[in-house]
Amino acid sequence: MNQFILRQGSARELNAFPHILEFALKKNNSIQLNSLHPTTTETIRIYFILDGKFEWIIDRKNHILYPGDLAIILPGQTFSGEKDTLHIGSLIWISLQVEKLDVRGITLGQWSQLSQQECQTIGKILLHNNNPVLKLKDALTLLQTLHKELTTQEIGHTTRVNQLMDELFIYIARQSTHQNNSQRDFPQAFTKLEQTLRQNLGHHWTVEEMAALIGLGTTTLTEKVKKYTGFSPLSYLINIRISEAIKLLNRKEENVTDIALLTGFYSSQHFSTTFKKLTGYTPSEFRKRNLNDKK
Amino acid sequence: MDCIITIELGTNAVRIFAFDLHGNVIDTMKGSYPTFHTEPDYSEQDPEQMFITMLYVLKNLLTEKIHPNNYQVVSICFSSSMHSVLAIDDHGVPLGYAFTWADNRGKLEAQELRNSGLGKKLYQNTGTPIHPMSPLVKITWMKNHDPERFKKTYKFLSIKGYIIQQLTGEYFIDYSLASATGLLNINTIQWEKDALDYAGISPDKLPDLVPIFYSPGKLRKEYQRLLGLDPATKLILGSSDGCMATLGAGVWSEGKGTITIEDSGAVRVVGKEIIKDEKQRFFNYLLTENCYVSGGPTNNGGVVFEWFAKQFGDFKIPYEIEYTMEALVNEASNVVVGSDGLLFLPYLLGERAPIWNANARGSYFGLNIKHERQHFIRATIEGILYEIYSIGKTLEEHRSIKSLSVNGSFASIPFCSQLIADIFNKPVSVSSDTTSRGSFLMSATDMGKYSNLEEASRSVILTDIYEPRVNDHKIYQKYFSIFERVTAKLTDEFEDIAKLQQKH
Repeated sequence: MNQFILRQGSARELNAFPHILEFALKKNNSIQLNSLHPTTTETIRIYFILDGKFEWIIDRKNHILYPGDLAIILPGQTFSGEKDTLHIGSLIWISLQVEKLDVRGITLGQWSQLSQQECQTIGKILLHNNNPVLKLKDALTLLQTLHKELTTQEIGHTTRVNQLMDELFIYIARQSTHQNNSQRDFPQAFTKLEQTLRQNLGHHWTVEEMAALIGLGTTTLTEKVKKYTGFSPLSYLINIRISEAIKLLNRKEENVTDIALLTGFYSSQHFSTTFKKLTGYTPSEFRKRNLNDKK
Repeated sequence: MDCIITIELGTNAVRIFAFDLHGNVIDTMKGSYPTFHTEPDYSEQDPEQMFITMLYVLKNLLTEKIHPNNYQVVSICFSSSMHSVLAIDDHGVPLGYAFTWADNRGKLEAQELRNSGLGKKLYQNTGTPIHPMSPLVKITWMKNHDPERFKKTYKFLSIKGYIIQQLTGEYFIDYSLASATGLLNINTIQWEKDALDYAGISPDKLPDLVPIFYSPGKLRKEYQRLLGLDPATKLILGSSDGCMATLGAGVWSEGKGTITIEDSGAVRVVGKEIIKDEKQRFFNYLLTENCYVSGGPTNNGGVVFEWFAKQFGDFKIPYEIEYTMEALVNEASNVVVGSDGLLFLPYLLGERAPIWNANARGSYFGLNIKHERQHFIRATIEGILYEIYSIGKTLEEHRSIKSLSVNGSFASIPFCSQLIADIFNKPVSVSSDTTSRGSFLMSATDMGKYSNLEEASRSVILTDIYEPRVNDHKIYQKYFSIFERVTAKLTDEFEDIAKLQQKH
């Protein structure tokens, strides 16, 4: 592939794709000092290394990238070259405007075919991924096809380009779950998942989301969690919710409705029923019991 | 029909069994809870989650398997892992998480006390080695480093003590679990004043001392209703997992030893007297009056083989460690006894008995150009078992062991059971679910089904007898002698490398 640069506004190839702000391939033949200053954007930036070796700082962490590596920089994260330098080598990048990315998920835009459920999960994976550099050789073919579709503009190319963008997000999400979990140590992967659940206990987690974070399908996840913990993933989550609720009840500062929402129940009614079913007490009875228990 | 429930509060999970009165398992369920390592050396668990998990599992077992089949629950007997400490306030509310047996934050306190005159005396009187695992050391740590929590503490409980308090509102600890705290004089069965003084507490900071058969009172009404249990259901305090496993393995007379290898492991014997060891290498825990379980624990059991499998196993199916380990064991069995001269020191987690050196580290020794991947597999397994043997061998300086009963997920792999027989040159039998079976035997004895624990232990049916292969034993002896010497010679280097590892 030769060098190219397509920019929204000037490249007519991107007219039909307002969400793609930039798509480029650069062959850098000499070390360029002071060319890669720290930047933060509102877009998602994806870099793919074709050859060479690059030393970058992404979100305040140092990374060395080799051919076949893909880096993803999220909105608000800083990105720069080590000592602001761009090293010798070739790379492809895309800068993409997304509508929203937060704990509730990612909203890509009208162009995307991904379901709301899938976007929720992908968003979570992107935010919880602590290594922005992925080993993703397969992305090369995808990027080459993307370039071909954009430049040849054959019939159906609008659909194909958007499909390829969706596919790129699926690649990235899958690879980050695989890379974050060695697929060897289930207890370790489960501990990580559990930490994530605890950090967002107010969220109404689904089994699909949990499975995606650990890099398994829902059936396999349920089987594994059941074997390892004795509970289904959702029952295990209820254990965590109730034990956190007990801690908050004992602290006496929060009212029962707030505790219900903080620990991920739909309402105080839902909280009370579940709490009573598991502990034999309503939340307020439980609170009272520990007051009366005083020796 | 009557049935007996046993609740085992283990390190990673609670396991609840229902037995009929003949000792057949009606059903069993488990529920796991996490361990938190927020700082190096910290190992903590959430007592509230443990309680909820226990309650949830118990409720599921009762409503799914026991009530529909018209079983009547006669008694519920408890056991738990040893050495846990939980500080609670005067409402019974936990002050932070519980310290598990594996919590090492008191290592400086332990080192200081172990080498002092007081330490030697405390070991003699309490039977518990002076080690960061010991609640004596943990409470002392809290006094020195977390004085606010220490001051607020109404009582220091064990995990089991907390569960009992939640269920009944009462504060008790059985002699047996108390004998693993480093705070109990195992001769007089009273709190040891010097130990309490050292930890800076008075006896009222501890629960009341009672025998293992003691019933701590009735379930609170709310739990009777929740679980569908009769008010007459008897709760029995029970013992520790180690003592129960020894009872449940049918080892209740002289000449027998038991080997448990799960993640960690232990070699234990039972006797009417404690083992007095100058070098403080063994624990002596009390089960009932004049009945002691003595032995030595290792950190490096199945957890080391699991480490090996995670690094070098080929995970054809993601996360399938059992399948992977099975394949490794098959490969190991193709290698000759002694792994063609490749030796492995398994001290990845430092070591307790018999060397009691937290700085000990692992090593492969004797590597030559002909060694292949499969030699490493076999050497790893042999190394783990040499360490077990080194505990057994030092125990034999005090007691004779004629036969062994092994249990636990690692020791009961047939390949490992046979290796134990060969390395020890003793017949080995295998038993399973020994901790729960021990609790069952206690409950059944309490009901009068057996006249005493010794008679109860004789009812244990042992299967799979592995006879030692004498020629293999001779080869293992030669390698073990090198294993022992290399371990001893590396003492200084262990210390140096551990220091470097902590620095970087």
